Amino acid sequence: MQFHRAQTLDEALDLLGELGDDALVLAGGTDAVIQYLAGEIAPEAFVHIEGIEDLTTVSLNHRTTLGPLVTHRVLATDEVIGAVHPALAASARTVGGWQTQAVGTIGGNICNASPAADTVPPLLVADAYVTLASRRGRRRLALMDFFLDRRQTVMDPDEMLTAIDLDPLPRGSGEVYLKVGRRGAMEVALVGMAVRIGFAADGTVDSARIALCSVAPTPRRVPDAEKALIGSRLDGGVFDAAGEALRAAACPIDDARASASYRRRTLGGLLERAAIQCREAVTS
Amino acid sequence: MTVTVGTSAPRSDGDAKVSGAAVFGVDFSLPGMVYAQLLRSPVAAGRLMSIATGTAVSMDGVHAVVTAAEVPNERTGIVLFDMPLFATDYITYEGEPLAAVVAETPEIAKAALGAIEFEIEEQEPVATPEQALAPGARLVHPGWATFATMGNLEWPRDGNIVSETVADPGDVDAVFETADLVVEDVYGAPRQYQAYLEPKMALATYEAGRFTIHVSHQFPFNVRDRVAQTLGVPKSAVRVIGHHIGGAFGAKLDLGLEAYAAFLARRTGRPVKMVNTRQEDLLTAPCRENAVVKIRSAVDSAGKILALDVDVVFDSGAYAIDAPYLTSIPMFVFGSVYRVGTARVATRAVYTNTAPTGAFRGVSGTYLVFALERHMDHIANELGVNRRDYRLQALMDDGDEMLNGQILSDASILREAFEVLEERAPWAELGKDPLCGVGMAAAVWLTNPAPGQATVKLNEDGTLGVITAATDNGSGAVTMGVRQIAAEGLGLSADQVVVTMPDTDTAGYDAGSQGSRTTHVVGRAAFEATAEVKNSVLKTAATMLEAAEEDLVVEHGEVHVTGDRSSRVTLAEVAATAMFTEGPIAATGSYTTPIPAFNPTCATGMLLPTWPTPTYHLHIAEVEVDPVTGNVIVLRYLVAQEVGKTINPQGVAGQIQGGVAQGLGYALWERLDIEGGKYVQRSLETYGLPLAVDVPDVEAVLLQHEASAGPYGAKGVAEPPIVPVAGAIANAVADAIGRPIDKIPITPEAVLDALEG
Ligand SMILES: Cc1cc2nc3c(=O)[nH]c(=O)nc-3n(C[C@H](O)[C@H](O)[C@H](O)COP(=O)(O)OP(=O)(O)OC[C@H]3O[C@@H](n4cnc5c(N)ncnc54)[C@H](O)[C@@H]3O)c2cc1C
Repeated sequence: MQFHRAQTLDEALDLLGELGDDALVLAGGTDAVIQYLAGEIAPEAFVHIEGIEDLTTVSLNHRTTLGPLVTHRVLATDEVIGAVHPALAASARTVGGWQTQAVGTIGGNICNASPAADTVPPLLVADAYVTLASRRGRRRLALMDFFLDRRQTVMDPDEMLTAIDLDPLPRGSGEVYLKVGRRGAMEVALVGMAVRIGFAADGTVDSARIALCSVAPTPRRVPDAEKALIGSRLDGGVFDAAGEALRAAACPIDDARASASYRRRTLGGLLERAAIQCREAVTS
Repeated sequence: MTVTVGTSAPRSDGDAKVSGAAVFGVDFSLPGMVYAQLLRSPVAAGRLMSIATGTAVSMDGVHAVVTAAEVPNERTGIVLFDMPLFATDYITYEGEPLAAVVAETPEIAKAALGAIEFEIEEQEPVATPEQALAPGARLVHPGWATFATMGNLEWPRDGNIVSETVADPGDVDAVFETADLVVEDVYGAPRQYQAYLEPKMALATYEAGRFTIHVSHQFPFNVRDRVAQTLGVPKSAVRVIGHHIGGAFGAKLDLGLEAYAAFLARRTGRPVKMVNTRQEDLLTAPCRENAVVKIRSAVDSAGKILALDVDVVFDSGAYAIDAPYLTSIPMFVFGSVYRVGTARVATRAVYTNTAPTGAFRGVSGTYLVFALERHMDHIANELGVNRRDYRLQALMDDGDEMLNGQILSDASILREAFEVLEERAPWAELGKDPLCGVGMAAAVWLTNPAPGQATVKLNEDGTLGVITAATDNGSGAVTMGVRQIAAEGLGLSADQVVVTMPDTDTAGYDAGSQGSRTTHVVGRAAFEATAEVKNSVLKTAATMLEAAEEDLVVEHGEVHVTGDRSSRVTLAEVAATAMFTEGPIAATGSYTTPIPAFNPTCATGMLLPTWPTPTYHLHIAEVEVDPVTGNVIVLRYLVAQEVGKTINPQGVAGQIQGGVAQGLGYALWERLDIEGGKYVQRSLETYGLPLAVDVPDVEAVLLQHEASAGPYGAKGVAEPPIVPVAGAIANAVADAIGRPIDKIPITPEAVLDALEG
């Protein structure tokens, strides 16, 4: 096993260009090292990018741009980020424990393409895009189109994630991330749900975005559930219809952590809780 | 007035453990050391058709590969001799050792394990006690009837039934006929993994006909005895040296890897080290047993329990270990807290094709108290009376008899526990918000009576040395308890006492850190030894000061004449003088708790006949249930615990906080499901230990009744705080949702099921 430490993005892209299939990017290593030790992956080389300063930046404009090396701890504790991306900050606070958050990066969370990646639903409701770079050039695509399957993405072996850009929370909107796990930390999400709702002055829902993780091989938006909320005042039977749409969109698995039926049955109640919290965030 | 006892003196191993300097068993190494690993069965049940080691043996760096054919493979055990070193013809559980490899590095050993060729004809496992007891069930051990026992002891056992204990006064059915109300319940409890930080290890050498085994083990003398038994050598041929223990909780009381390491050290002539991987450890640890408790009460119109009928079946797994003792425990738990009238308590331990279960802090008590206390709530609710009042009228009183005929002379302490918690947190005010609930559970727990010894010597600088094989499994029983007790005897501070690590060659017998015995039993031995040392000090000092012994005071590291501090000598001067007059000052104390009187005919198969030095416990939990996720949030947790005498307040608080945390894990989060004889959760990631973020600060009130025979009146403290937790939590959750909870762990799914009715 070779270990390369890249100090600049150029160096990293050169290495990936040369090594291609044989190399794997290593950021915080909180996924990759565990998979390596468990024999699930066997790259011939790691390209360690954690020291590339340029990839740790955050810029807040009409779109927010995050470097892939922004850690969960920064997302969780930076007040400026938290003000415009409350759901993302909340999701970062649920990643593992403090140790994991200090080391793990948002880029790693995305590129690992786990069905349970906590930061992905908040990114999806913020209409996030990812920028991939290689020696061959750059491309920018919707995060929604990045995931192919569990641990599979559209990224080529010589490519690297270099930026994530997303919409800050508009005025009149609220957003939350709710995670179902048995304990208050160190939990792989049994269900993760991000909700961003925009309200008209009279309290009617005029936009809604709902994204889930841990209920399918890849995180996903649920347009039918979003439609069910739009135009409502979050009353009447909207949550029945929206909950039905969520359950229809979910195809969770049974595993050692929870049954598929449990994951499914939490969805309706979670959405109601999330939507009401969004409204409270706007009115308070 | 005490100077050290009763203070939170820092533990002697604290700095080393915090800084990382402490050498735990897994950290210990010797020059020339080689590494051994076990080939473990991948199936739960089957016939081992063949095993070929040729390829593995010929690998570079491999020193030896052994199978059942090459080791002394007699079946042995602590009471029932049913366990061989390696499976021979048939396999009884996933993880059972089939062969061992010794190699220059762990990597080579692992590769060599992969090169052993074996063939197993898999069988349908006997996966549950229910299957094991079904008519015509396959016998887990076809040769069970031929298994020998310790001292040819006999008890009822039959086929898949490892042991059966039945207390039956004969009149129970007749009393049920007269009942106004019969309340009936069935409760289920899972396994629990001890989940210590340090996996099991052993490092053995063999020199000049003797084995030396380095361990981090709760019971070094048992390692000595069991290795001698397993390898067929005299006990004196085995020396066991204890190192710091990274947690144990009962899982490190019987043999783990020690006999393998010892055998392989003799075989290779090299120091042999073995360390379990976390997964091996989880799959093969002697977890707390899963069990089903059926309980039925006959109640009269006034609500009094006239008779109790209890049937307990627990899963011993593939081997007995301590199960024949544990079948006695239900009769103590069901007959020591509440007056239950006449009671029949029948308990069976059953073989299955799963990893053998064994001791875990609060052995069996956790689920037995859960069952009894859920049942008490059930009766109270059925009668429509306040659950606390219902318990109060049923509490036992001073002089009441337990089911074994043993008298509880101080049972009213439990009533005091109810009162002190009522003052702190009035029952009627708890659990009132929507989806909130409150529950309580009480218990009477024993202090293990088994023998111990301590030798105390006065060093020439006026400090004390204590030589004992008592082990500190992390609880502080030695590094705080025994040390402070010895210091107190000469009016010293705890840091003027050094206690040795265990070594079976140098220290007297010790029955291990189990059942909260160390402070009580070894503390008493140290107390007596120190008293004798003090007598020698007074004798020598009297000559030096030309004063009468009765006029002398020992304090602040010196001896002086009462009322005249100018006439004094230091302890160092006394020690130096004694050296060339009376000889060096030292004394040895020994203690074992006298066995209380009991009725030997009260039950059949009663290998554990009494409940010595009982302590009294009341726990109250307040919880909130999340109706969307089914999660339970513990809002508040209160404990009243009788400790006899607090030796170290911080130590006691730590044990109570830790015991409750471990009990919360058992009640709410930890999960070890069995499918087809195999564990479903196979790593700590899915197992779900309790976390600091989910465990509230436990509010503990200590009751001190200094009447016991322990040092300064101290009784066992550390084991019981786990015992009532599942009962208190389950009652609180049931109260919150208005539906019964009959199974632990209380999973979110079960809570949602119950909520939806
Ligand atoms: C104890 C523990 C608890 C955890 N709990 C959670 C949790 O609660 N929720 C959760 O979502 N995750 C959790 N994780 C997983 C992990 O911490 C996160 O996914 C984290 O964000 C990964 O980031 P990293 O920098 O460590 O990634 P790495 O492990 O370095 O990389 C992960 C993957 O992404 C690739 N990669 C990383 N950066 C780039 C890049 N810039 N371009 C291209 N590819 C890249 C790597 O090649 C690798 O395949 C936990 C992990 C541990 C060890």
